[in-house]
Amino acid sequence: MQRRAGTTTLAAPVRRVAPLALILLAACDGPQSALSPGGEDAIQLGWLFWVMLAGSVVLWLFINGLFFLVTRRHPHPMSRKLAEGTIVAGGIGLPLVVLTSLLAYGLSIMPHQREPGDGLRLRVTGEEWWWRVEYWPEGATEPVVSANEVRLPVGQRSDLELHAADVIHSFWLPGIAGKTDMIPGRVNHISMEPVEAGTFRGQCAEFCGLSHALMAFQAVTMEPADFDGWLAAEAEGISENARQAEGHAIFQEQGCGACHALRGTEARGEVGPDLTHVGGRGTLAAGVLPMTAEALADWIAHPEAFKPGVEMPGYNHMDEAELLTLATWLEGLK
Amino acid sequence: MTTADPPRLGSAPADLYEAPAPSGPYPPTEEMLAEPVKPKLRGAQEDRLRKVWEGPKGWRILSDVNNQTVGVWYSATCFAFMLGAGVLALLMRVQLAVPDNDFLSAGTYNQFYTMHGSAMMFLFAVPMFEAVSILLLPAFLSARDLPFPRLSAFGYWSFLVGGVFVLGSILFGVGPQSGWFMYPPVSMQEEGMGPDIWLLGLSFIEVASIAAAVELIVGVLKCRPPGMRVNLMPLYAWYVLVVGGMILFAFPPLIAGDFLFELERALGWPFFNPEKGGDPLLWQHLFWIFGHPEVYIIFLPSIALTAMVVPTFARHPIVGYSWIVLSAVGTGFLSFGLWVHHMFATGLPTMSLGFFSAASEAVVIPTGIQLFAFVATLMVGRVKMGLPMLWIAGSLAIFTAGGLTGVMVAVAPFDWVVHDTYFVVAHLHYTLFGGFVFPVIAGVYYFAPVVTGKMLSERLGRWAFWLSFAGFNITFLPMHLTGLVGMPRRVFTYPGGLGWDWLNMLSTVGAFVIAAGFAVLAWDLIRPKSKEPKAPRNPWEAGTLEWSADPDESWGARSVPYVTSRYPLWDQDEFVERANAGQGYIPDAPEMRRETLITSVIDARPIQVLRVAEPTWITLVAAFFTAGAFILPVFHLYTLAGVSGALAIATVVVWLYRSARDHPEAETKDAGLGLRLPLYVSGPAAVGWWGMWITMLGDSTAFASLVFGVFFYWTARPDFPPEGAVHADLPLALASLALIAVAWALTLGARMLNTRGRPWLATLCHAIGPVLTLAGGAALVLAVRDLDPTTHVYPAIMWALVVWTTAHLGVGVLMQLFCLFGLLTADFGPRHDAPLWNVALFWHFLGLTALVTVACVALLPRLL
Amino acid sequence: MSDEHPAGGEEEFREEEASLVRITLGPVVWMAHFIVSYAATAVVCAKLSTDELVWLRMGIAAATLLALGTIAWLGRRSWRQWRHGNEDIWEDPAATSEDRHQFLGHAALLLAVISFIGVIYTALPALFAATCR
Repeated sequence: MQRRAGTTTLAAPVRRVAPLALILLAACDGPQSALSPGGEDAIQLGWLFWVMLAGSVVLWLFINGLFFLVTRRHPHPMSRKLAEGTIVAGGIGLPLVVLTSLLAYGLSIMPHQREPGDGLRLRVTGEEWWWRVEYWPEGATEPVVSANEVRLPVGQRSDLELHAADVIHSFWLPGIAGKTDMIPGRVNHISMEPVEAGTFRGQCAEFCGLSHALMAFQAVTMEPADFDGWLAAEAEGISENARQAEGHAIFQEQGCGACHALRGTEARGEVGPDLTHVGGRGTLAAGVLPMTAEALADWIAHPEAFKPGVEMPGYNHMDEAELLTLATWLEGLK
Repeated sequence: MTTADPPRLGSAPADLYEAPAPSGPYPPTEEMLAEPVKPKLRGAQEDRLRKVWEGPKGWRILSDVNNQTVGVWYSATCFAFMLGAGVLALLMRVQLAVPDNDFLSAGTYNQFYTMHGSAMMFLFAVPMFEAVSILLLPAFLSARDLPFPRLSAFGYWSFLVGGVFVLGSILFGVGPQSGWFMYPPVSMQEEGMGPDIWLLGLSFIEVASIAAAVELIVGVLKCRPPGMRVNLMPLYAWYVLVVGGMILFAFPPLIAGDFLFELERALGWPFFNPEKGGDPLLWQHLFWIFGHPEVYIIFLPSIALTAMVVPTFARHPIVGYSWIVLSAVGTGFLSFGLWVHHMFATGLPTMSLGFFSAASEAVVIPTGIQLFAFVATLMVGRVKMGLPMLWIAGSLAIFTAGGLTGVMVAVAPFDWVVHDTYFVVAHLHYTLFGGFVFPVIAGVYYFAPVVTGKMLSERLGRWAFWLSFAGFNITFLPMHLTGLVGMPRRVFTYPGGLGWDWLNMLSTVGAFVIAAGFAVLAWDLIRPKSKEPKAPRNPWEAGTLEWSADPDESWGARSVPYVTSRYPLWDQDEFVERANAGQGYIPDAPEMRRETLITSVIDARPIQVLRVAEPTWITLVAAFFTAGAFILPVFHLYTLAGVSGALAIATVVVWLYRSARDHPEAETKDAGLGLRLPLYVSGPAAVGWWGMWITMLGDSTAFASLVFGVFFYWTARPDFPPEGAVHADLPLALASLALIAVAWALTLGARMLNTRGRPWLATLCHAIGPVLTLAGGAALVLAVRDLDPTTHVYPAIMWALVVWTTAHLGVGVLMQLFCLFGLLTADFGPRHDAPLWNVALFWHFLGLTALVTVACVALLPRLL
Repeated sequence: MSDEHPAGGEEEFREEEASLVRITLGPVVWMAHFIVSYAATAVVCAKLSTDELVWLRMGIAAATLLALGTIAWLGRRSWRQWRHGNEDIWEDPAATSEDRHQFLGHAALLLAVISFIGVIYTALPALFAATCR
């Protein structure tokens, strides 16, 4: 009887708090959240955050509680010694202990966060407003070129070499690690070590002009074997079938190859993203649209409507059917 | 106090041409202070003072220079700019309320966020410190005015024109849109006049800020009432000193940055262009060397206001006065070691980041000490609550949260997560609302009776508080989470489904609640109050000097009291009555001139009665011509800008010359309480000399920033200087240095010869000096003639140094000619030699600048 | 203390300036140490090889000891200035030159304490995060 009564009294607050906690936990989730980490560095940084948050809440309550106490609860004079002690203890003692340990903790995890990678090397270049991505597996003499999507093997530390083509960008994949800027004239490095396979979203974090808000990417973390298979396929040019298709003819006719490369064809443009396996990516136009034939058709006709200031001209002179054929063909380039 | 004869000041001047020393009893005895003034004399004195200090009427009020008038204009203008920038924030919040919104276009949004940040920082936060200080500092010190009233007015008009220009650009859709930090290359690439508006408009305002800092520093050092030693200064004065000093060292790097930036935009000198050896990171360094101290430049004055309010409501003197002084000075220093924490993600070496992470944590200690000193004061006091204390309690709640997130982002690896996300947006708004906006509003409610003689509404004040406090937390508390779940800053839109939607909607709702709070506050400030009763003289029963003056009289202090306590209204007998009965210093204006008392730096011994400026139009004219020089280049009207600049210089020269030859009619005058003080002093005893010294400290900092640029390029770039680069012509550079050194010696010699009673020799020196200076400048330019600044950053930075030095040589020539003219007309002479002192001081700095320039341009590159 | 000192004049200014400047010496030492550490790291990481890091760390250690020693000496001097004939260690203001003198001593001492902590903090990265990467 007693025990049962005990459980109900305990359960009531738990029942009330549990949904709240669930909501809060759910609020921390998301493909671009630093609080649902899938990488070794992000996990370490998550811990750092939760520890600091707990400390901050305690200190906030302490300082404001003290202020409330001396102004509202106990407005009468207290001893001068106590007041003086408060300055010394609160102003020097307390911060000395808290800050010194925090600083030592923070500094000591920095070298690990910036450890060099031990296998795959990526070279990512920020452009207005998309990402040029090159994979350099160990021993490679030339890269596998892709764009607007980053794939990383799980359980290995990959090294990302960061460049900028025009203005400063910042490469940020919150689920996996912290961010590092991409600065014209400089080469920066970041390394990443995913711990589970999944899909994450990243975004440019440094203001880079008109459509800064529209410069995202998808990241896919894969088991090493899957990754190797994918990379091998990615290294191939487009298939013979695709080359013979009507879509390819339209592609050539419209002069798309002046800006875009299609490996295995004459299209070698380097102004825009490499499109050899464009259909295999999760998103279109650097995370702005879904990878569907309809979205591709819309984008080709009116890129400015989706990304103000974009360099790609609109192809709205093409007729509807032609546009859809081209889009469907592109979407099929996996 | 003893009743024995007081010690007497006075000794014969060392030589014939020195100012007569003060003479008479000092410090005054209790009996002297208690000696009543006869009612008839008192009335006559009051009539004279009233007439002398009466401001101009009608539209002529625009020519006023008195700190009380200019201070009110200044504060009101800042407040108006703040409301404008606030409206931009509301529009941005509407755009972000829902995902994929198209309420604002990308370009408009980018203009709005850029302008919101720029205006809040440059048109509200920093100038608000200057405005409040110009308005209240003389009252805190029982001074009649600040030492350079025309400079305050000039600064105000510059600020107004510059501010309207910068903020107004948004109405025409041509505002800058690369962020308030203007990082190149994105800002360099921006077309149109936006970046030029930002650079030139804000440089102009920065110059005005430096002018105000000079004015306020000299005000604190030299305009205190007799007896107010440095250990008795109101804490606000300490903060003004520290913040003024910080402005002198923080703003010039940005001015140097603006200088380089505009050279690149207008002439294509590639300072930030990596293809020609430049580096965009130099801008970030210069910007944040300014930008981080600036945060403390905003925060410290508000703490200072709190330090004035808290003792009043604790009904107890501040506990730990020297601890607070320590934290002000300590914060001032440490805040210069934080700037790279805005650049944690730029890929600098881990160890370098570590230094800045460490300093960012260290600065927490002095900040904490200030807060705990307030708590300690409230502990020992008999606390009463009032509306100002409510705002202060709110500010503490908000600021401690912002400070704690500050401790978090100072840990570099955590910053890699939240840098450039909404977490940082939340953090900075917590620090700025808690550390600036709320304390300032507390100050508004607290000091309103000092300024207007009327109290503000208790009821409206509470409404304003609770609306803005609740609204603030609804807006910004969720933003911490918004950032952590991945939303970057400065995005004009975002897709749905990332968990950001409801957080953004909440923030938008909260923003409108804050706006409601500010609307109530604005109404409380502007509603007509003529029918309301006058506030009692000291409604909060405070202990500091500002409560001793009658707000209805424009003379400020009826007479300048002798101060022996930090809280004279609490501790000194009949303090207010005596001061207002004219039983202090300079209780009269028999010559019908505006005067204030100048005292010594440490112990505030009276040393001079200073004649201060009366209403004049020349400041207004000078400000508008200066504005032309800065603003017209935006429209590529370079000739007109040049003309405007020349007219500005001419106006300033006339202004300075007119005051330089305005010699007092007597050597000394009766300053009251038996003391006779000189009216004309020169050299280090004069406020003008101090003004020059302090200005040149700032100027040298800007120059040092350019020199830092040289070393920066050397470490950052392997091709600096590039292989086979053309170097400056060594013999010509050395010849230039020799010529300038002789000109320097002549300028110094002129001052010394003149003081020894040989003005004709001084005239000769100043006749030869300008010729040598011009020759030296020409040689310097010729020395770099073969370097093409558009090809590479190396010749460009060398040219930048030469341009900087040459411009200063031009000013040096003007000053030499100024002295020459004064000596020839005998307006200046052995006795009236203040301009010669000040010009010689300028030349010391100029000589060093030339030396360093020649070393950097002609010698250093041959060694690297 | 001489209140009879003639007011004004260059001589007094020099004496006065010195006493205000003295309280900032502690932070000035911190700043010098900070700049030296930062500049040395920047040059070593940019211009020399990472093998030199050990020398850099030893250099920073030496600079730190030097800075701490200087600040300790400044602190001791300020302590004397502050405690000179002073019973109550919490300053109670009065309007004499003596009080001003002690106040400046106290402020200088507290600034020395803060600067001491600041210098130690600046040295921590050389201990915990000594890499150029």
